[in-house]
Amino acid sequence: MAFLEAKKVSKFFGALAAVSEIDFTLEKGEILGMIGPNGSGKTTLFNVIVGVYPPDRGKILFSGKDISGKKPHKICHLGITKTSQIVQPFTSMTVLENVMIGGMFGKGLTLSKAKEKAKEFIDFVGLSKYLDEPSGKITVASRRRLELARALATEPEIILLDENMAGLTPWEIDEVLELLRKVNKDMGITLFVVEHVMRAVMGISERIIVLNYGEKIAEGSPEEVAKDPAVIEAYLGEKYA
Amino acid sequence: MEKKIFSKRNITLFFLILAIILILPLFVHGYLLRMLALIFMWIGLTACWNIIAGYTGYIDFGSVGYFGIGSYVTAILMTKAKMAFLPSLVFSGIISASFAIPIGIPTLRLRGAYFGIATLAFAEAMKQVVLELDRVAHINFFGGSHGITLPIGPGNEFFYYVMFTLMFMVMAVTLWIERSRFGYSLKAIHEAENTAELVGVNTLFAKTTAYTISAFFLGMFGATEAYWVTYITPNDVFNIHVTIQMVIMTLLGGMGTVMGPIVGGSFLTIISEILWARFIYTYMILLGIIILIVIIFMPKGIVGTIRGLVIKKKVT
Repeated sequence: MAFLEAKKVSKFFGALAAVSEIDFTLEKGEILGMIGPNGSGKTTLFNVIVGVYPPDRGKILFSGKDISGKKPHKICHLGITKTSQIVQPFTSMTVLENVMIGGMFGKGLTLSKAKEKAKEFIDFVGLSKYLDEPSGKITVASRRRLELARALATEPEIILLDENMAGLTPWEIDEVLELLRKVNKDMGITLFVVEHVMRAVMGISERIIVLNYGEKIAEGSPEEVAKDPAVIEAYLGEKYA
Repeated sequence: MEKKIFSKRNITLFFLILAIILILPLFVHGYLLRMLALIFMWIGLTACWNIIAGYTGYIDFGSVGYFGIGSYVTAILMTKAKMAFLPSLVFSGIISASFAIPIGIPTLRLRGAYFGIATLAFAEAMKQVVLELDRVAHINFFGGSHGITLPIGPGNEFFYYVMFTLMFMVMAVTLWIERSRFGYSLKAIHEAENTAELVGVNTLFAKTTAYTISAFFLGMFGATEAYWVTYITPNDVFNIHVTIQMVIMTLLGGMGTVMGPIVGGSFLTIISEILWARFIYTYMILLGIIILIVIIFMPKGIVGTIRGLVIKKKVT
């Protein structure tokens, strides 16, 4: 039994199938990557998994239990959370308070316990010096780390990372990759990563699925996927396939 | 940034002010005492609005609906069931709150202006129901546009204390919200509701709870006001101006702060009273100008602006 499994999941916006009959499995402890051109349904699929939208067809199973149609906070309590493509810190709160929210509501900790725990996660992502800064005042790179710390504070089993490295410099990307490997290896958290930076997603994922126009067109190791004609066609056009 | 609210100095100050307020009716009577009770009421109402709009970010234009429900519940209980005032007061709060749950659950799914419009419609609909039900259903319950006359109540001292107690309770709740886990969930909803949900906040539950707390106290204020003025009509107690006054007072004082309602509520009540007494024909114009000036030059309200200045001073 797979840890997280999608069975023929579809999501329509009007007549448009944003996600169409997608199957995938995610094993405990692995890092799964997902790539695809813009508008191929990656973010929508993530939103369906965490319950922002219920799937119109199909099912999502977590440890064998059907979680489709549950609300995001319920799914977070079960152990799946997501960081967003567009960073959304609670801007008027400090970095510490942002992460405390994750502990208090994701994990159900008391205020003081959540504060204690939050400091550990902030330290882990390397933001200790900004502890009492309003989160609206820190750089984009730091906000991305903050998103990660807040997700970690919910003490999840699976984190979905939606373009967590967008807008970062190559050097910053290396640091984040290092951090994500630690999250995976040391904390034992399963990762599902959507990324446009090929070097990052190819480097970190053990397995990759490729979406195009809402459908899964390929699946396999980074090397296999990179050679797949369907994938090359989706990215570069027919001529190069 | 630990805020030391419960420092020794603050506690001493608090008890001093409390003592002054409690013994004041021994020295102050009539108009001035009535004025103070009115200020307490407006601070309290504004604080109710601040809980849902200031902390949670849901701009409620139907708050007067709960005020009106509270008024009518007490009026009906006291005249028809011959109940005493204090139990009716509690019933008013409970019934207002029990309206807030079924109204809040669907409307709090709406965002921004849509929530404002839906709540406005709720308050107006309540007014029409109370106004027309008797005529339509051929009964004599709400009294239609004639309203209800309540038994004559005790003097101003009594209402001074009741209004103060209610205001005190709302402020205590606000202070608790400011510092509690629940308050953090409201602030998270205000800032980024989708993210709050993703990291585990049951947003619908939190919003509905805030809305219900607000309605509970609004109902009790409505009840007290009804007994105080002894005569209510749908047009008085469901008047949209009551809501607008709460909005303006919160904006003047500062949204989402503990002190905001206190400053905004007392400032506007006192200013409008002074202006009304001096410039009977032009006071509305003058009041409008003052509100405009404050909103333009202090967009964060009086409390927010002062706080900003203090922080600036510390930095330089």
